[in-house]
Amino acid sequence: MNDWNAMSDEAFRAEARTFFESEFPSEFRFLPRRMRWHECRAWYLKLSRKGWIAPNWPREHGGMGLSPSKLLIYYEETERAGVGRMPDQGLTMVGPTLIRFGNDAQRGYFLPRIIAGEAIWCQGYSEPNAGSDLASLRTEAVPDGDDFVINGSKIWTSMAHDATHIYVLARTDKQAKKKQEGISFLLVDMKTPGITLRTIRNIAGHEEFCQVFFDNVRTPKENLVGELHKGWTIAKGLLGFERLNIGSPRRPLQALEKLEALAQARGLTADPAFVERLTELQLDLADLGSLYRRYVDKVRRGEVLGPDVSMLKVWSMETYQRLSELLLEAAGEYGAVEGEVAVGEVNIDVLSPFYNSRPGTIYGGSNEIQRNILAKYVLNLPS
Amino acid sequence: MSAPNENDHTALLAQSVGDFVQHGADLPRVRALAQTRAEFDRAQWQQLAELGWLGVLVPEDCGGLGLGLAEAAIVAEGIGRALTPEPYTAVAVLAARVLEQSADSALRNELLRGLVGGEQVPVVAWQEQPDDFAGLQVATTATPFEGGYRVSGEKQFVGGAAGANGYLVTAQSPDGLQLMWVPRDAAGCATGLVPLADGRNYGAVTLQDVAVPRENVLASGAAARAALSCALDHAAAVASAELVGMMKRTHEMSLDYLKTRVQFGKAIGSFQVLQHRTVDLHIQQELADAVLSEVVAQLDLAPDAVTRALAASRAKSRCADAALAITRAAIQFHGAIGFTEDCDVGLYVKRAMTVAAWLGNGRAHRVRYAALAAQSQREAA
Repeated sequence: MNDWNAMSDEAFRAEARTFFESEFPSEFRFLPRRMRWHECRAWYLKLSRKGWIAPNWPREHGGMGLSPSKLLIYYEETERAGVGRMPDQGLTMVGPTLIRFGNDAQRGYFLPRIIAGEAIWCQGYSEPNAGSDLASLRTEAVPDGDDFVINGSKIWTSMAHDATHIYVLARTDKQAKKKQEGISFLLVDMKTPGITLRTIRNIAGHEEFCQVFFDNVRTPKENLVGELHKGWTIAKGLLGFERLNIGSPRRPLQALEKLEALAQARGLTADPAFVERLTELQLDLADLGSLYRRYVDKVRRGEVLGPDVSMLKVWSMETYQRLSELLLEAAGEYGAVEGEVAVGEVNIDVLSPFYNSRPGTIYGGSNEIQRNILAKYVLNLPS
Repeated sequence: MSAPNENDHTALLAQSVGDFVQHGADLPRVRALAQTRAEFDRAQWQQLAELGWLGVLVPEDCGGLGLGLAEAAIVAEGIGRALTPEPYTAVAVLAARVLEQSADSALRNELLRGLVGGEQVPVVAWQEQPDDFAGLQVATTATPFEGGYRVSGEKQFVGGAAGANGYLVTAQSPDGLQLMWVPRDAAGCATGLVPLADGRNYGAVTLQDVAVPRENVLASGAAARAALSCALDHAAAVASAELVGMMKRTHEMSLDYLKTRVQFGKAIGSFQVLQHRTVDLHIQQELADAVLSEVVAQLDLAPDAVTRALAASRAKSRCADAALAITRAAIQFHGAIGFTEDCDVGLYVKRAMTVAAWLGNGRAHRVRYAALAAQSQREAA
């Protein structure tokens, strides 16, 4: 197995570029939405065979163990080649969580299946009445023999219709004094009887998220991650990974790639007023890279990410939105056209970054909630 | 006993900067600058020399510590935090780098040794036009005569001129650009001081037929240009560290105030609108800090000139604008008190303005960044 970190940045970038450009199926390049499993399965397996499916995981668990700068190069090259976003909860969330909080049996069973594309995960957090106030969740898991029995409903569950498994925050102790106590972290097979799905169409017209209903759903007790009633702690630890993932520069990079192509095609690079705004956003993104690498470094050293990682999410997603908005403005009349439009020599879908950048300031804890967290736990401001 | 290794040096340096910031902040003197304009205190400068700070970047064979920009940035952050008005970056980074990259000569070594010890206070007088922080536009002339050059011209925006005992001057001669040492008291050399918001001064140096002996030429042609442009990028990065020091201290003052000032029966820091504003500024501070540490590490690896300039511009752009935003917001957070001369906030606001403006402000660096990025893209294509 190659030690990617021993390669020079340039050599690694060249290898990644060649691989993504030559191997990623052209019909899915720059897809304006997330890839469905039937579309990306072959690509997922190809990455898996190459050993490139989990760039952020340590090598002993089948990952690439990339250094922060190499990880960023990996992401930059996927964005450059227009590689679509796959159902990636197992890779970005469940894997790192089990590595950190799971037991050997859970790691031994699930990690290889995530790498092999046999376990595709979705996240069961939000509920119809528990959004920003996630700790008020009411989905309940009651112990019964060797199982927990789950009742309730989760919503805004991205790609649940493609998932084989769901990780669920459920209330296991209704008597707990604080609402954060008495919540447990459970792994559930989506094929279990009693689970039903309703897809929800989003503002862009795509069906990417769902509501998941649990009606006496049984999951074995060995699928409890960490201690009983201590799921909130794990969820918080996992939120660190989530915010790191959402806070990576990869999604804003997609918008920047399009913006630069459009600016060239429309001759806007000769307009100093436009160039000034573009440069400001380019630097917002480049500087996000510096901050991001700092956090990836921490994770590699085995440090627990603190509440300060919320900064990454705020800055990344708001930079993404600003880029998508400048893209629409730069497109002029084309800025209202659905689908790909031919501008000069390039075909660009200018609306998809606008739509795709909306939910990022809402999911994973809205950016307003992130600011509350930063004010309280990082700046220690009074409440 | 073995010689201390590089990490020891860095740790010792960080320790001495920490101590200095604790005891060295001399805000009454900084406040009095508006009247006294006495930005250069000989005793204070000697203390910086004794701490070894002036020689951080100077090679060991010239009496310095031979460390890198990462260490210079540690010192500069402390200087920014303590609001020390002495020209650390102008002398110990900009002038030191120009000298260090000049050809080996008795004068170069003497100036470097003197700089480290505090007896020589050279600053670089290169700039003639606003926004020319790469030193490209030189109208000052150097006319050959037997034994040297007669130099005439005007230099502006000279940082640290108030305490300088001489200038590293650029001038065009028939045989190319010359970089030369001109003592402040040379016949025909006049130093005017242009007052700045923070009580310090820019130097306006007028040179009229100044006779500069040949041995005062430190570098010529492409070598002079290369030394200057490298030194300017390095100085922009270290000035960014000063700005980071200022923004961190000011941000702390704002947070302290928000936690203690009570209105409507509550600490005003409990109000969500103020919390969210401070969070946004905190994000700017952390971006600035992250960019700065990456950029100084990058520059210490001596990259090619374009990479170096892009990195320096990235640092100055973010750090300057973040420092301005954080210091200005501090006035608002403090309310009317923040607008008074008695409040320390104003000292930081003004220093941030002068350091942001010197060596290219945020906008100017973005303009340069865009031009360089477009250029390197054309070359790659």
